[in-house]
Amino acid sequence: MTGPSTAGRPRARETARDQENARQLEASGISKWFGRRLVLDEVSLSVAAGEAVAIIGENGAGKSTLLRICAGLIRPDRGQVRVSGRVGFCPQEPGLFDLLSADEHLALFAPALGLSRAKAIEDGHTLLAEFAFPVAEYSQTRHLSGGARQKVNLALALLGGPGVLLLDEPYQGFDHGAYVSFWEHVARWTADGLGVVVVTHLLADAALVDRVVELTIPRAPVVERS
Amino acid sequence: MTGRELARRGFALGLLTALPLAFYGASSNTGSNAVITGGIAMAFSIAGASIFVALTARPVDQRLVLAGYRPYELLLGRLLLLEVFGVAVSAVFSVVMVFGTGPPHPWLLAAGVGLVAFTSVPFGLAVGAVAPHELEGVLVLIGVVGVQLTLQSTQAIARILPFWGAQRLLQHSVDGTVSIGAAVPSGLAYATALFIAAAYIMHRRAPSLTLSRVR
Repeated sequence: MTGPSTAGRPRARETARDQENARQLEASGISKWFGRRLVLDEVSLSVAAGEAVAIIGENGAGKSTLLRICAGLIRPDRGQVRVSGRVGFCPQEPGLFDLLSADEHLALFAPALGLSRAKAIEDGHTLLAEFAFPVAEYSQTRHLSGGARQKVNLALALLGGPGVLLLDEPYQGFDHGAYVSFWEHVARWTADGLGVVVVTHLLADAALVDRVVELTIPRAPVVERS
Repeated sequence: MTGRELARRGFALGLLTALPLAFYGASSNTGSNAVITGGIAMAFSIAGASIFVALTARPVDQRLVLAGYRPYELLLGRLLLLEVFGVAVSAVFSVVMVFGTGPPHPWLLAAGVGLVAFTSVPFGLAVGAVAPHELEGVLVLIGVVGVQLTLQSTQAIARILPFWGAQRLLQHSVDGTVSIGAAVPSGLAYATALFIAAAYIMHRRAPSLTLSRVR
């Protein structure tokens, strides 16, 4: 046994290390320019396992850009992103093939996630059914409503059990029931140890997460970058 | 799945396939030129379909790579699928032109049409990788194929265009007046270079993260 005088510090160090290790995503010093416009200026974001973080801010504050940088879809001009495990990303605009059905999308993603086609469709149906998506009906995604397309979008982000979920206004087009259900699911996902980041413009959502990160439009001189 | 998506665009595919037939039919009174015009115009079909596949897949590709696919796997899958489509279209089109024109070297005609199809796929994938939208992609396609159609294969500028090798084969199949030694190597080299360009662009655009345990 460690003596009483030293017992506290190693435990404290261990706890700190555990918290550090439990971080699912860590973005530090992120800066991004689009042409001459500075969109993000030295922004940092970290998400621990089991934590729900909301990114809020006015239009043009760089919320979606930060999320896309965290997903690795855009390269930052400065800064670094580290993630633990696989990223599940749900873009604001559903990135889907118009002429494929929800099942065909699930089957398309299956090999990439190391799942069999049957398993991906089964898991996908479970996820979709939780959001009241009509899994028994065959419909190409072009014939789905905006909310239903977004449900497919969300199911694809969740398929295969990602380590961290990055959701860019994922409830676009959801009706009230689906919206409420979404936040109940966020609570369940975080309880299961997932780190969840939600970009939102609804201030009411801030009460439903563990932490809120507010982005502001950076004020930067309009200069030519070298 | 790309095949299913493509197959469900029956009307667009019909139009794309009808386009070179229209070029061939419209120039049928020009004798041997009709084979060259129709054969090169087939690039509109195959490259058009390839551009379309590349552009419609772009928003999904990044998510597919995030999910675990490698960019080259996606590109290779599309290349193989579209080459099969190209072989099928070029086989039908070769038969039409062989019976319609009766060239002295029908196998060279088939080889020329096949080379157009073979080169068109990586050409379309490369254009689809750089073009911001379908309009720009189609304009590049019309520009390149249109210029190739207006040039004689003996002109210097024709040699730097992607379908020069196929143009030589098609011309030799009807009049036997041009050498075809460099035709196939030129087409293969162009196709390879275009595929590498498409793969490079797709790789550059792919998600990049330090997928390591956070320290």
